[in-house]
Amino acid sequence: MIRLTIDGQEISVPEGMMIADAAARLGIEVPVYCYHEALGPLGACRMCLVQVEKMPKLATACTTAVAEGMVVHTQGAAVDKGRKGVLEFLLINHPLDCPVCDKGGECFLQDYTFRYGPPAGRFEEPKIQKVKDGPINEFVLIDQERCVLCQRCVRFMEEYVGEPQLLLEGRGVETVVSTVEHRPAQSQFAGNVVDLCPVGALLATPYHHKARPWNIERQESVCPLCPVGCTTLNTGRDGRIVRVEGRPVLDRNWGWLCDRGRFGFDFAVSPDRLTVSRLQGHDEAAARATRQVGQWLEQVVGQYGPDSVAFVIGGLHTSEEAHQLYRFATEVVGTSRLAMSRQVQGYLPRGLNGTFEDIAAADAVVLVGTDPYEAVPVVHLKLRERWRQQRDLKLFGVAPRTLGRETLPVDTLITHVGHEAHVLAQALARVVPDHPAVAQLAIQGDSGFDDAATLAQLGQALVNSEHLTLLWDGVEPEVESVLIALATVRGAKVTRVLPTWGPSNWRGLERGGFPARLEALTQILKDARDGKVQMLVLWGADLLREYPDAQLVQEVYQTVPYIIGEGLFLPLGSESMRAFLPEASPGEMAGTYINMEARVQTLTPSVQPPGQARPTRSYLNAWAHSLKKSFVAEDDWDPFDDESGDLLPVEAIPATIAPLSPVSQPSGEMELATGVLVMENGIPSELLRSRKPQALARLSPVDAQRLGLSAQGMVRVARNGEELRVAVTVDQAMTPGRIYIPLGVPSCPVNKIGTGVVEVARLEEVHSA
Amino acid sequence: MLDGIKAIAKGMGTTFKALGEPRDTYPYPEKRREYSPRFRGKHMLAKDEEGHELCVGCGLCEAVCPAHAIRVVAAEAPGDKPVSWTNRYSVDYEVDLIRCIFCGMCEEACPTNAVRLTPFNELAAYDRETMIADKDELLRPAIRK
Repeated sequence: MIRLTIDGQEISVPEGMMIADAAARLGIEVPVYCYHEALGPLGACRMCLVQVEKMPKLATACTTAVAEGMVVHTQGAAVDKGRKGVLEFLLINHPLDCPVCDKGGECFLQDYTFRYGPPAGRFEEPKIQKVKDGPINEFVLIDQERCVLCQRCVRFMEEYVGEPQLLLEGRGVETVVSTVEHRPAQSQFAGNVVDLCPVGALLATPYHHKARPWNIERQESVCPLCPVGCTTLNTGRDGRIVRVEGRPVLDRNWGWLCDRGRFGFDFAVSPDRLTVSRLQGHDEAAARATRQVGQWLEQVVGQYGPDSVAFVIGGLHTSEEAHQLYRFATEVVGTSRLAMSRQVQGYLPRGLNGTFEDIAAADAVVLVGTDPYEAVPVVHLKLRERWRQQRDLKLFGVAPRTLGRETLPVDTLITHVGHEAHVLAQALARVVPDHPAVAQLAIQGDSGFDDAATLAQLGQALVNSEHLTLLWDGVEPEVESVLIALATVRGAKVTRVLPTWGPSNWRGLERGGFPARLEALTQILKDARDGKVQMLVLWGADLLREYPDAQLVQEVYQTVPYIIGEGLFLPLGSESMRAFLPEASPGEMAGTYINMEARVQTLTPSVQPPGQARPTRSYLNAWAHSLKKSFVAEDDWDPFDDESGDLLPVEAIPATIAPLSPVSQPSGEMELATGVLVMENGIPSELLRSRKPQALARLSPVDAQRLGLSAQGMVRVARNGEELRVAVTVDQAMTPGRIYIPLGVPSCPVNKIGTGVVEVARLEEVHSA
Repeated sequence: MLDGIKAIAKGMGTTFKALGEPRDTYPYPEKRREYSPRFRGKHMLAKDEEGHELCVGCGLCEAVCPAHAIRVVAAEAPGDKPVSWTNRYSVDYEVDLIRCIFCGMCEEACPTNAVRLTPFNELAAYDRETMIADKDELLRPAIRK
């Protein structure tokens, strides 16, 4: 630790810290444009000039590291003169268009000029004219005249994200920020430059000319679109959310968002969103629909008993709503049939769940099935940050397709579909063949993966690395027992897993009382098919899109007399539903979300629910009334734990290791692999339409040639009599013999077919005249 | 008795004197008083010589208004029909003339000199709705007869 004095206050900080950060810890603000802690020092803007005793000239606080006994002054005549001079130069070519600038009122150039700047400039020549409101991509506009050339955006894209799509062009006063070859910057992280820009040079198109800082309200909330749970600031105006910004949390995250989260906020005002109650296929008044459902509930419970009602939760519900529904189901209705609908079949015990700190401290990371860039984009940034710090970080992937990319190279072990668990177990067995935990896995069969050297490397990383972090997509449920075996083998060494599947708040729904394992849902559906369930309440769950056996769901939909749906959007098969009730979305009510770290985070509402949309408790209170039971949905239940704070209480890792089922090499030509793609996770967005993949399915060039496809085309994917027609694109990173279709896309519910060997045939494109 | 007559004569003298003098009152509405050009009456939104609206929808008038009488909604100016001199304009501009205290702060805050208070002060209506001046109304300032 190094001791220094800033403005008369003493502080001890770690070696290598910059003066600006040390001052920030004392609550002393040093004005700065170019410096950002995540990007490191640059010293381009010269705004942070401070006086350091024994230094002949003013020093830049963001590039000068602290030294023992240093005495720093951030105020004083010399510093004021320096800042005035810098600001006068910055303003020479800065246009006087604050009234039309979206940043006006929250602009650091305005603020610092007001606080430190000269009252007037002396420069009388005409200002240089540059591009105004030119698009960087479909979501970000650049105004080159307003730019102060701090280079935060350029450095973020080039160094931090590793996708150098922005650059500085020109010399001297003609220098501008531009895109490479003037092509749109298509990175999914490009939206972050809007937050990074300290002035009004980079602005978000959807928020362009929408509001000013004094007539909006910003609420601290959480992005509900993927399980990362990025912290956000939501801007509401006139009953609509008009902007989402990243919200940095000290010592935890930098406030980065992906474009999916930053510009996907419009799902709440999507034309597909249901804001009217539906009864027997017709629009109905909210009170009448709720009352009718209450009467049906009363009839069913009276005639067939409480266990004839089943509740399945899913979707974007908060933990509180889950708990209220759990209490209603168990206390008021008295049923024991509860389940949760999730995107995938796998389950991760709480004992193995890690946090993002485990990524920041990892010396080996294994991606099991998941591609973080597509499934949980901000985790990709966290992984990349770790990789940049420690270039010898071991990054392995075990999946049916290549997971890495140029910006984050991953050693992928390409397996057959459904063989991830087996290959992981093989790698484990290669290093510790005699361990009892490995024996319990009972590895049988031939996975077809016999690259001994790669397996040994993976095995070494799995067993011997000090801090092992795994990311798992949950598609292959047997991985769970390999993970437990792995943790047992590693003993005291840290083994942590981050689950990357949705719904975003599945941990919170589990915390609320609903069993998360697939078996509970399967049991309910089987009982329903056998006529033991009279009323099936689907609370946000879209079974035809999510449940692996679509055939069974179809049968249930035809058998159960009363199916009650609730959600934001009409699910598949909604014509079988007696009633469908509109739900309040996460931006419209308070509550908590629990993310993939098992961290509890609070949502704050920005707007009111539109139309008849209601939070869960409104429906439950009304139905308790129909059942003539006293029930108060609001209680003092709190997902926060006394001891573990904002993380869920830690549980022991399960002791039993289920044996793996034997595998054999698939005999077919093509196998269907799936995974989560956050851009296509079933939550619509008009704004992001241009970013949706044109073709969902991906094929290797070899297979495309064999099928006679050019770069794009339509294919028919069939298995066991079920088929899907899907647009396909040729992907160089795909392995021959695999076709990839993302999970849970409403237009292409891949669960209808299921993973494994499929028939793939080219469809002739029919062009309508 | 004599005192009474004197008093009446004095009074009548004043009356007859005043009869010949110019009048302090006006026969409103047939005749109207001339106001100082600085009089603060109803608002208007000004245009430049080419007919472009000066208002850029910055919302400073809305922010400064002590009575919260102004509502501004800004938007990207339509490209095909040049209504504004810049690419941002106010798509909606409302002044609630009942709330307004005619302090003139909006006029002072306006960076483009678009909002001006005219000498027009004949603000009367049968209902409150009519007293909310919308953008169309403000762009066509009323003139005192």
